[in-house]
Amino acid sequence: MKIRAITLNNVRRFTDPAQLTDIGDGINVLCEPNEHGKSTLFDAIQALFFKPYGSRDKDVSALRPHAGGAPEVTVEVETDDGRFTLFKRWFQKPLATVHRGGTLVAQADEAEAWIAQLLGGDAGGPSGLIWVRQGMTSLAGGSSKEEKQALEARRDLMTSVGAEVEAMTGGRRMDKALARCREELGQYATSTKRPRTGGPWKDAQEQVASLAERRDTLTATVQELQEALAERARSRRALRELEAPDAAEERRTKLETARAAHAAALRHAEEVETLARAAELARLNADSAAAQLESLRTTLAEIATAQREVRQAEATAETATKTLAEQRAAVEEAEAALKKAEANLEAAQATQRLAQRARAARDGAERRTALEARIAQAEATRAQMESAEAAAKHGPDAAALQRIETLAAELSATRAARDATATQVVARYTPGGAAILGPDGPLPDGQALPLRHATELKIEGLGTLEVRPGAGGQDDHALETATEKLRTALAQVGADDLDAARTAAATRADAQRRFGEAKAVLASLAPEGIAPLRAALAEIPDMDAEEDAPDLEEAEKALLAAQTAYSERRSAREAAAEQLAEARTEAARADALLTSLRDRLRRAEAQQAKLGDLSEDALTAQVTQTAAAFAQARAAHAEKAEGAPDLASLKAALDRATSVETQAQDEIARLRPLLARLNERISRASGDAVEERLAETTQELQAAEATLARIDHEVAVLTRLEDALQTARNEARDRYFAPIVAELKPLLQLLWPDAELTWGEESLLPHALIRNGREEPIDILSGGTQEQVALMVRLAFAKMLARAGRIAPVILDDALVFTDDDRIERMFDALHRQASDMQIIVLTCRQRAFRALGGKALCLETSAPTS
Amino acid sequence: MSFRFIHASDLHIGRKFANIPQPPDGNIRGRLMEARHAVIGKLGQAAVDAGAAHVLLAGDTFDTATPSPSVLRQALMAMGETPLVTWWILPGNHDNLRDAEPLWETIRQDAPDNVRALTEAAPVELAPGATLLPCPVAFRAGASDPSEPLDRMESPEGSLRIGLAHGGVTDFTESGDAIAPDRDRSARLDYLALGDWHGRMAVSERVHYCGTPEQDRFKHGRRGVCLLVSLDSPGAPPHVEEIEIGSFLWSETELTLHPRQDAAAALAAILPEQGRRDHLLRVTVGGWASLPDRADLTRATEACSPDFAHFALVTDALGTQYDSADLDEIDRGGALRLAAETLVEEAESETLSQSERDVSADALARLHAYVREAEA
Repeated sequence: MKIRAITLNNVRRFTDPAQLTDIGDGINVLCEPNEHGKSTLFDAIQALFFKPYGSRDKDVSALRPHAGGAPEVTVEVETDDGRFTLFKRWFQKPLATVHRGGTLVAQADEAEAWIAQLLGGDAGGPSGLIWVRQGMTSLAGGSSKEEKQALEARRDLMTSVGAEVEAMTGGRRMDKALARCREELGQYATSTKRPRTGGPWKDAQEQVASLAERRDTLTATVQELQEALAERARSRRALRELEAPDAAEERRTKLETARAAHAAALRHAEEVETLARAAELARLNADSAAAQLESLRTTLAEIATAQREVRQAEATAETATKTLAEQRAAVEEAEAALKKAEANLEAAQATQRLAQRARAARDGAERRTALEARIAQAEATRAQMESAEAAAKHGPDAAALQRIETLAAELSATRAARDATATQVVARYTPGGAAILGPDGPLPDGQALPLRHATELKIEGLGTLEVRPGAGGQDDHALETATEKLRTALAQVGADDLDAARTAAATRADAQRRFGEAKAVLASLAPEGIAPLRAALAEIPDMDAEEDAPDLEEAEKALLAAQTAYSERRSAREAAAEQLAEARTEAARADALLTSLRDRLRRAEAQQAKLGDLSEDALTAQVTQTAAAFAQARAAHAEKAEGAPDLASLKAALDRATSVETQAQDEIARLRPLLARLNERISRASGDAVEERLAETTQELQAAEATLARIDHEVAVLTRLEDALQTARNEARDRYFAPIVAELKPLLQLLWPDAELTWGEESLLPHALIRNGREEPIDILSGGTQEQVALMVRLAFAKMLARAGRIAPVILDDALVFTDDDRIERMFDALHRQASDMQIIVLTCRQRAFRALGGKALCLETSAPTS
Repeated sequence: MSFRFIHASDLHIGRKFANIPQPPDGNIRGRLMEARHAVIGKLGQAAVDAGAAHVLLAGDTFDTATPSPSVLRQALMAMGETPLVTWWILPGNHDNLRDAEPLWETIRQDAPDNVRALTEAAPVELAPGATLLPCPVAFRAGASDPSEPLDRMESPEGSLRIGLAHGGVTDFTESGDAIAPDRDRSARLDYLALGDWHGRMAVSERVHYCGTPEQDRFKHGRRGVCLLVSLDSPGAPPHVEEIEIGSFLWSETELTLHPRQDAAAALAAILPEQGRRDHLLRVTVGGWASLPDRADLTRATEACSPDFAHFALVTDALGTQYDSADLDEIDRGGALRLAAETLVEEAESETLSQSERDVSADALARLHAYVREAEA
């Protein structure tokens, strides 16, 4: 079916007929501003095809003009059977007619049936599928009835191109099976396939766990019971063995025997000890006797020795005393002789000194005279030297004079230089002329007199002549400086002028020379000064009046003899003294020895006294006797000790026997209450029938485990089934949507390469756009994208309709509202691509944007009403 | 006049049967337990009926070493109520001497006069001319032939030698604790009464297991018995007579199915018509079944199992054959068919583990059930 012309009359603003004619194949564009009736046109077409002529519902009412009246819509369609004119009027004289070339084909209900047939006999027809009302940019929307119709239309279309969706996806049978499966699974597991709390699966798991725990507890209890039984058996056996009369008797006998043996051994040991003590005593006695005898013998020998030695010492001491007395006398004698010799020596010495003095006095007289003269000469020379030295200190020395000379020369040179430049007057007297008087007297003749300043020259008789030298050019200052320097130098040496200085310098040099000469003389006369000379003079003895002085040689000879005698005497005395000392030492030594020996003797005698009056024979007899007693006692002890039992072993045996008995008693004391406790424990545990309960629990656990295994299997079965069903349904759905996906694919690729749409099984609409592997639900896409997707889907549906032989015009009332210019071009490409074998009518207000669409331009013509 | 006695063993009094599933309002465990207690009375009655004055219990009279006081005392009292019969109780491995020491002490102290605990391996005169040679079990698991002492036990000249022991004749665990099968000859026994095996078995002419009088497992397939033994004279072969006294029948039946066989009918055909209430039945199903057959089998099982004391259907060995018709029943095409085919493929896969294949097979069966359920 293709629409060729549309006429509206009394439809909203079109109170006069409005017409759209010459609608062609492919794309037709009616481009009008808003409020020019595009939507009215769309609604009118919609009403014609879908609103029964008898309808007065709001959609139809909405078609009436304000002024009221009966809306009329006429549509010319071209089908395979030819061209038909469909007409409907609502409200007043409602009517529906179908004409073919002016021939009425059908009217009223028959016409409605004809139209329905034309649309394919379906509830929805192409309207919701491919006609887009203004503002309906998304796929869904509209009233619920419209949505339902659209869904039916889509379902019909899909079914017509493929299998029925039910057949493909299993439909309600699949839903039921899945629901049953999920319902059953839901009893066991949560949506995440975990055991559901309170469900049989969880219960079975908990049952197994709790039974396993109980079994373990009971097993442990049984184990304890069996251990207690074993321990009781052991304890009973042990107690029985301990308490058996034979065993007790044996223990007691052993203990008694050990005790008796031990006591006997103890007694024996005491006897051995006693004998040992007796032997020890005998040994002490024997030792003591032997020691006494030995002591006596030693003492007697000592006394004899001491007595002998005392006697010898006494003799020695006597001799020494005598020798000492003799030596003392000898010493006294030598002393006396020495004193005499000493006196002689002193006398000789005095005589010799006297002789010497006399000789010295004679030798000193000439030397005194010479020395006195020399001293006098030296003193005179020294006076000369001192006066010369004083003179040499006055007047300038050579250096000072040299400086003065230099300064004087400089002064002369300075003055000469000044006078050379000064104004000079030279007086040349006529012979006999009057003298010319200068400031210093008359001017000499022919001699240039320099004038340094204004000078009045008095010429006798004539007056004065004032000469004024020109200012500058003369250096008085240098001259003054030189003069001052000279004067200062002269003043320093105390000279009035140069000549005086020269004289003083000569005088000084002379004095210096004289000083040097006197000094040399003095040095020769008294090289070490005058004082030593005077001391030497004082030493020379004066000659006194001892005329009778002995002869020196004789005096010296006598002195020598006295000295020799004295030395001899002194040596003799020294020797005597030495001998005395020796004798004294010897005497002392002899005395000491004697004293010591006497002491020794006394001690020996005291020792003897201490020993009493025992005789050596008596003691010897005693020694023999005690030694025999000791030997006897020792033999007795050895004999006794030989047969002694081993006390340590017997003690150990007794200890062991005692501990065996003690242990037995302790063990009995331990076992009796232990048995009581075990009895109690066993009777309690066996009364609880633990093994019975364990057997029961074990069986229950097996059953519970079997149940759990069954449920595990059941869950696995249901899970597997759910998965298989879900997977199969997904696959079927994909297959079901394959045709529309194939139609959409080239369209989508105009906008987005590799883009895909996923389809909702219930809505039969795309619910997500997959771009670049990312899935975006349709309803979160931008408005532009949503309307683009919607339009493409409609175009795809239209194409499918066309393929099914049910060509229907695509009517788009401002279907691209949000699409930007770039995309809109591509959408136009899509439209043209689809339009090749179908009819597309585009209503738009976007004149400029849609200029690029191309296609056939339509124009809504309003004209005078036609009949 | 020959010497007669009853030989029984493995009463396992006090056994709880907690492994037998019990419906919330059911009482099968209690009934099974009670039946074991009732055996005492039946044995006493059998002895009286046969003119036997002795009941020899060859071990495991009690299920555990520490039965609860009521279990123990009621058992002893029940024995005391047959004063004409003397009960000779031998410790077995469950009620061995060591672990069950309190039990044996209690029996020695508190048991009626006609109940005798055989806790010593020493000859006992049952009656003039008949000597009982007991071999009590000392430990739960021994390492030697418990009947060994029999060889050394003396008996009066001309007296019957009756051995009483507990243990297996086949050394399953290789621990060396098996009873020598020729012990009757080595110990010159006229009869060796054995316990431990729960099935009745005659090892040789003179060596017998009586089995438990009240069965507790499916393998033996008959009610429990006790043995009435008559010994005419020393050396003469014993006369052994089985007396069925068990209340409950434990049995196991195999059912092999073929595809397109009516599984429910096949099951019904093998089920007993009578005595179901006292019957514990295990049906092991093998062979092949289609999906609907399996569903039918399950339904049939659910229908009949309440008839029985216990009913178990073991389908581990039952293979499922997936006909395209069965799959068509799920769906001829579309996603359901796709899922079903995936599951079939997995169930028949040779690369997956058995448990994974089982999961897939059961998942498929479940899907089949869902679809049928939805259409029912």
